[in-house]
Amino acid sequence: MKKISIIILVFISASIYAQKELEQHPMAKSLECNYCHSCEIPTKDDPCLYTCPRTHMVTLQHPVEDAPEVIVLDELKEQSDLYAPVVFSHRLHAEMSNMAGGCQLCHHYNPPGVILGCQECHENSRSRTDLNKPDLKGAYHRQCIDCHREWTHEVECASCHLLNEKIVADEVQVKDYSEIKHPKIIEPTKIVYNTEFDDGDIVTFYHDEHVNLFNLDCSSCHSNSSCASCHDTTPLKLEPTLDQLHRVCSECHDTEDDCTNCHIKKERPRFNHELITGFDLNKYHKNIDCKSCHGKDGFKGLNDNCGTCHTDWSPGNFDHKITGLILSESHEGNDCEVCHENNNFKKPTCSMCHDEDVTYPDFMPGEEI
Amino acid sequence: MEHFMKPAPIEKKYFTPGVMVFVVLAAIGLVFLAIRFIGGIGAVTNLDNQHPWGIWIGLDVALGVALAAGGFTSAALGHIWHREHYHAIIRPALLTALLGYTFVAVSVAMDLGRYYYIWHPLIMWNGTSVLFEVGICVMIYLTVLYIEFLPIVAERFIGRVNLPGLLSRLNKTVDSLLRALDRGLDKTMFVFIIAGVVLSCLHQSSLGSLMIIAGPKMHPLWQTPILPLLFLLSAIGVGFPMVIFESLISSRSFGLKPETPILTNLGNIIGPILGIYLAFKIGDMVIRQTFVYLTTITTESVMYAIEIVIGVIVPLRMFLSEQVRKSPAGLFIASSLVIFGVFMNRLNTFLVAYTPPYEMTTYFPSVGEIAVTVGFISIEVLLYRLMVKIFPVISHPQKDVAPQTKFSVRGMI
Amino acid sequence: MLKQDRRSFLKTSALIGAGITGLKSKDTKAQTRHVISEDRMGVLVDTTVCIGCRKCEWACKTAHDLPAGDIESYEDRSVYEKMRRPDDKALTVVNEYSNPDPTKLPTNVKVQCMHCDEPACLSACIVGAFSKDESGSVVWDTEKCIGCRYCMIACPFQIPAFEYDKALQPDIKKCDFCIERTTQGQLPACVEICPVEALTYGRRKDLIEVARKKIKNYPDRYIDSILGDTEVGGTSWMYLSGRDFQELDFPKLGEDPAPGVSESIQHGIFAYFVPPISLYALLGGVMWLNKKKEKSKEE
Repeated sequence: MKKISIIILVFISASIYAQKELEQHPMAKSLECNYCHSCEIPTKDDPCLYTCPRTHMVTLQHPVEDAPEVIVLDELKEQSDLYAPVVFSHRLHAEMSNMAGGCQLCHHYNPPGVILGCQECHENSRSRTDLNKPDLKGAYHRQCIDCHREWTHEVECASCHLLNEKIVADEVQVKDYSEIKHPKIIEPTKIVYNTEFDDGDIVTFYHDEHVNLFNLDCSSCHSNSSCASCHDTTPLKLEPTLDQLHRVCSECHDTEDDCTNCHIKKERPRFNHELITGFDLNKYHKNIDCKSCHGKDGFKGLNDNCGTCHTDWSPGNFDHKITGLILSESHEGNDCEVCHENNNFKKPTCSMCHDEDVTYPDFMPGEEI
Repeated sequence: MEHFMKPAPIEKKYFTPGVMVFVVLAAIGLVFLAIRFIGGIGAVTNLDNQHPWGIWIGLDVALGVALAAGGFTSAALGHIWHREHYHAIIRPALLTALLGYTFVAVSVAMDLGRYYYIWHPLIMWNGTSVLFEVGICVMIYLTVLYIEFLPIVAERFIGRVNLPGLLSRLNKTVDSLLRALDRGLDKTMFVFIIAGVVLSCLHQSSLGSLMIIAGPKMHPLWQTPILPLLFLLSAIGVGFPMVIFESLISSRSFGLKPETPILTNLGNIIGPILGIYLAFKIGDMVIRQTFVYLTTITTESVMYAIEIVIGVIVPLRMFLSEQVRKSPAGLFIASSLVIFGVFMNRLNTFLVAYTPPYEMTTYFPSVGEIAVTVGFISIEVLLYRLMVKIFPVISHPQKDVAPQTKFSVRGMI
Repeated sequence: MLKQDRRSFLKTSALIGAGITGLKSKDTKAQTRHVISEDRMGVLVDTTVCIGCRKCEWACKTAHDLPAGDIESYEDRSVYEKMRRPDDKALTVVNEYSNPDPTKLPTNVKVQCMHCDEPACLSACIVGAFSKDESGSVVWDTEKCIGCRYCMIACPFQIPAFEYDKALQPDIKKCDFCIERTTQGQLPACVEICPVEALTYGRRKDLIEVARKKIKNYPDRYIDSILGDTEVGGTSWMYLSGRDFQELDFPKLGEDPAPGVSESIQHGIFAYFVPPISLYALLGGVMWLNKKKEKSKEE
């Protein structure tokens, strides 16, 4: 009897333990285990996590308003008492990150759910067994110094924390950062570059078009631009290479083969789909993403034939009302080709059924709204 | 007319204007040496962390050992190969070696940061260290040299011990001690003579191995695994020219007739030795294809060219000519060139070839370093002059003395 | 094994030799070959992480009782205008190399003793003042050193420095891998203070794995090479870099241990003392023959 009860007890405790495990797992159920774990059955003692889930990790954006305003980073006190803890204006930094990469700029391991702090993964001890990722001190400093250094070209410890011996009062002063905001970045509408390219020295860049018309996020172009691209105060501002200059554009544009795509002799007018392609982006197409038409094959292979894109249109599922004309009962059931010969959807031909005296728009095949 | 050569003390006055120059040079050297002991090695030398060894090691020690090679080469020739007619040169060569090695030891001590620990290698051994081997060999060889010199001391003082003052009571004891020593050494001297030659071969070659561990820090023109062989060959090669050089200088200085026939015979041996040395040197260069470094003009290539052409090829050609070998002037010039060649070789191997990977300054010996080196050479010259006045070292033609088979080679010396 | 035998033979022969000359060897330990432990420690220096803050220089001086000065003075980056080398007043220094890509930050390289597995200094030292500790440190013994500076000639990395300005008890100064701290369970001072953990302290074999992983995961960041993995037979301190190591002034060294050639020549000359003894015998024979010849001539 005793034995059985012991066995039962073991089973119960084991199942409770297992449940607890599941509950505490930081990852959402939607993820595959082998996304993070390298072995079949990860345990708490040996989670066999990949070195650094920096590149593969799904990320989740959180609104800046949710971010804590100030965090005092004092965990490193156990390691050394040389410097005072850092009072970190977290929200201010989150706002700035939002201009480039978002939360994952720092929280590179950013699974769905609660955002993890550095100390969740980075051990607060330099003598440790897992040397694959930096310890907490290293992680903090790398995260901060890499940006700070870029615009000052220096590593002044005092810009973040003072030497303990220089602090008069024992208490660390927590500054109020709530009023401090990164100034709003003024978006340019148009930038005209004068280049040294002989066959066309002028490149006209419409920033607003890229944002509004092409619906690009800031981060899709600016994710790699460091703080230093604005803040670099050193006189040693160095010329970027040709390759670096083109890198942002070459994400979408061909910068290798045809330079005159962008480099022309005069200032380029605003983007006009009709002028360039002959296809007027009428009210139906004006506000949709370029990619919904220009998909896999890039910007080639499309013509002004509606059927090229709208392959599934048939009299049964096309609501003619959206064109501004409700078809009369006699026209409703017709195949499209009956009126729109040769896929010309601009102007219907009536001669298929009617005599020559019946022409559009003198006679309407229905009621205009 | 046949006359017999017998070693006897020189009876000329010690001080001459030339000797005074050496006294002054020695004094200057000692002053700088005093600064070294007060302010440390850095106070006198131009040595730094990039150039840990300067001329005190490259010249005073490495060249000093090479130029003292006359001691073991002439001992080998005179005693082991038993060429009686060379006996006149053995004692001067022995004295030179004795003084040379003594000053090698002194120079090492001066260059050691902790000179007072110079005895450490005796009880703290490191079998992998070339320097340890060199050190131990030199220490034993120095002892052997002093033992080899003892019979000369005995010859001078047996029956003539005359200690001053109270010590005169010991005259008899010392005398009998000397006699006992002389008798004992007479029978065992061959052990020390062979040991001296073996020890010399060992440390002369190991002196070359010293720089092998510097690896790529050494210029390829000199860095070769056969460095020990080259050092041994060049030491043997410079041994007799040094004897000739010295013999000619001292006979001039003491107003004696140069022992030209003996020196001519010595000169006959030098040519082949230099030839072998040159063959190895050139062969090594061809095999390792280091001649590519000679196609551009750099300090290294120029120094190498001087070393080989002026220091080896020219004297080799001179020693091959009978006319040169028969004239004291020719012998003197040719021998000087060989000495210069070995001087260049040691200087090049230890200093010119040594290029540290991080070289912010270049090394050139300071005034102090040169003064100490010159000072030591001067003291050696002064001591040599003093010793030949006290001890029967240099052979004179003795018309009134019949040849004594035993004492002409007293105690094998 | 053979080498060991030779060495022990050399030792006994040397002992006999010492016996003859009336000397006693008090310290036979100097002859024992250093033990290389599988678990020896090391440091992986990631030059792509180092920011050149020079705090390691300060920590090193403080830990070794050298005049260190004000910690904030180390933020002065003008020292980078000239290349500096470790010396008797600073056992480690950081240098800076501007990036060939002008928009990128410069590379900083910390320099100190590499703590070779087959140290040239240890092999060369006349009195065996250097030893390779089981923990990986190559340490120098002030009790033995005579100040001959042959270690400085031998070191392929040009590390040992000498106190030229001292008339009495000048020391050889070099990084000792903070052996006093590590035996007490502390980290080396430079490793401990490094803000960005550009210096990773751990078992050498683990560090090599870490380094290989880094190179594999970030092929754009690192060149495919770990300096010190195989150079001169392996070193306890190893480096990762995004640029060719020669650009960062590391000497180009092969994989053979630095003392290799020298030791094999040395053991060749002294193999079982056979060459010297046979030379002795040969010369003795020559002497005897020549003497005999002469005697017969006289008779």
